[in-house]
Amino acid sequence: MRLATSFSVRQKLLAVVLLTTLTALLVAIAVMVGFDLRNYRQSLISDMTTQADLLGRTTAPALTFDDPRVAQENLELLRYRPQIRAAAIYNARGKMFASYSNKDGGEFPRLPEADGTRIEGNELVLFKRVLGNREILGTVYLRADYELYDRLVGYLGIAAVVAAIAMLVAYVLSRRLQQIVTSPLLAIADVAREVTEKRAFSLRAPKLSKDEIGMLAESFNTMLAEIERATRDLQASNEVLGREIAEHNRAEQEILRLNTELEQRVKERTAQLEFTNGELEAFCYSVSHDLRAPLRAIDGFSQALLEDFPKDVPEEAQRYLARIRSSTQRMGQLIEDLLNLSRVSRGGLERRDADISELARQVVTELQNREPQRKVDISIWDGMRANADSRLLRAALENLIGNAWKFSSKTDKPRIEIGSLSNDGRAVFYVRDNGAGFDMAYANKLFGAFQRLHSGNEYQGTGIGLATVQRIVHRHGGRIWADAKPGKGAAFYFTLESDGVEKAGRDMAEAQA
Amino acid sequence: MIFRLCALVASLAAMAPIPALAQAERTAAETQIKAAFLYKFSAFVEWPPKAFARPDSPFTIGVIGADELAADLEQIVKGRTVLERAVVVRRMRRGEPLAGIQMLFIGQAEAARLAEILAIAKGQSVLTVTESEDALSRGSMINFVFVDDKVRFDVALPEAERGLLKISARLLAVARKVVTSS
Repeated sequence: MRLATSFSVRQKLLAVVLLTTLTALLVAIAVMVGFDLRNYRQSLISDMTTQADLLGRTTAPALTFDDPRVAQENLELLRYRPQIRAAAIYNARGKMFASYSNKDGGEFPRLPEADGTRIEGNELVLFKRVLGNREILGTVYLRADYELYDRLVGYLGIAAVVAAIAMLVAYVLSRRLQQIVTSPLLAIADVAREVTEKRAFSLRAPKLSKDEIGMLAESFNTMLAEIERATRDLQASNEVLGREIAEHNRAEQEILRLNTELEQRVKERTAQLEFTNGELEAFCYSVSHDLRAPLRAIDGFSQALLEDFPKDVPEEAQRYLARIRSSTQRMGQLIEDLLNLSRVSRGGLERRDADISELARQVVTELQNREPQRKVDISIWDGMRANADSRLLRAALENLIGNAWKFSSKTDKPRIEIGSLSNDGRAVFYVRDNGAGFDMAYANKLFGAFQRLHSGNEYQGTGIGLATVQRIVHRHGGRIWADAKPGKGAAFYFTLESDGVEKAGRDMAEAQA
Repeated sequence: MIFRLCALVASLAAMAPIPALAQAERTAAETQIKAAFLYKFSAFVEWPPKAFARPDSPFTIGVIGADELAADLEQIVKGRTVLERAVVVRRMRRGEPLAGIQMLFIGQAEAARLAEILAIAKGQSVLTVTESEDALSRGSMINFVFVDDKVRFDVALPEAERGLLKISARLLAVARKVVTSS
């Protein structure tokens, strides 16, 4: 059966037709031959029996009147029946009365046998009693050709020839006739192959018949139409999609171009701004620097007046001089701060492993040395470290801790805490006090230069410190924010790294709120 | 009966080729064969219906001048039938009418008066059988001859036809000679 799958429909049909023809032919021939042979045998037996009867009747007088010559003459007539090889007449006593044999000759049975026929090889042997007037006159013996095998061989030869001719005719006929069946099928197969190879869904199989194959062609065509429609839809949607993608790409490129343009513009503006800013700072620095010398002169000479001429200067004048000195000193501090702010902006950023805890302790020690009478509860966490410029970091801590020191001066039990939080593995440092605090409504003004939330009478300060701190934190890429309540103290948080800090800071702020 | 018949026929056949026997023996055998042939002729001859007086009339064979043969024939026909009729052998004398006779055998003893006897039978449906030379020319229908030590017979058809008798061709086939016209 595996063989059967590899042949074409045409070949299979041909094979079926030929096989069927051959089978029918063989069966028909076998039946006919069988029938004929049976007929032959029966007719031969009946023929020979008749012949024997005839012979018996003809030779009956010869037997009756004991005339072997006549019997012999009768037997001689058998030469017109060449199929009879031998014949003999026996008289009633069983003695041979007359005999005949054709050229083949042959032997005769010594004694006659009872009536009957039998086949001996390719010979038919027959014994027949001769009756006359109710008496047994003798016996006829006949031996004839029994050509069953010859006939069989002959029939097989004829069968072979007939089969060959029939197969040839069947082959020629079926080759023509099978086209009725196969041509619609092959037409569909051709179309199917073409559709598969060329993806030409617009092709249609021809409907050449109204039978099952016709229905197949119809179904196939319906399917093709469906595929064609689906393909067309798909192509259409593909085209739409393609257009959309192209549009999208164009838009993206437009955006990219705009971005580039924007960046360029930003760069230009930044450069301009930086240039302007630099000039401004340079100007600010030189002014501040240059202002220090005359201030120092004013302060110095005021001091010299007070010290060198204690008696010549009236008391009133001395008081004025003292006020001049205090003002010049304040102005000096202001200039110093401005210069600091300027310095923070200028110069390089040298990141190194910095010990924040140690820096904070140094700052606190300095403050305590300056005002040893103040009792402040200070706690500094150990082991706070950061990758930062320690000079700038110290300046920031000086400002933040200094503020805490300053704004907790009027509190009963002042307390300052310097510590750190960890958020997503990034450190958030803080400086917290329980001092005056401030209203969060002004939180946005905290880090601007010269912004003061408290009056100079209450707390001394130039209003530049937090601006400096913010600038330092920003230069590290970090962020700074505050949380406070009036009278309840303030807390300043800052980070020194850029990534994720913003989010961390926001979370912290929310947590504090 | 069949057995007896077989034995009889067998004995006849055995004697058919008669060797050099004593004249008497030879004659006896010859007589027996002739008797058997006489009986057997009946099977090959057709008689007209008027040959029999009644439907149940016996088949009668008349014998003149051959007592031995008559005796043999009586032996042979005993219990037998011809044409569904009983068979009777009648020993006859010269001049006796032939009424009721279907077959008449005229022996050698009456050869001298053969013409006389045959004249009576002429025109009657009686199968006449003789054993004399030249008998056919004198009006006999079947005449026995002795040829090659065998009993054979000649047949004269015109005489038989005159007596409205039909002699079977099969019988003619075994006859030594058949006379078809006078």
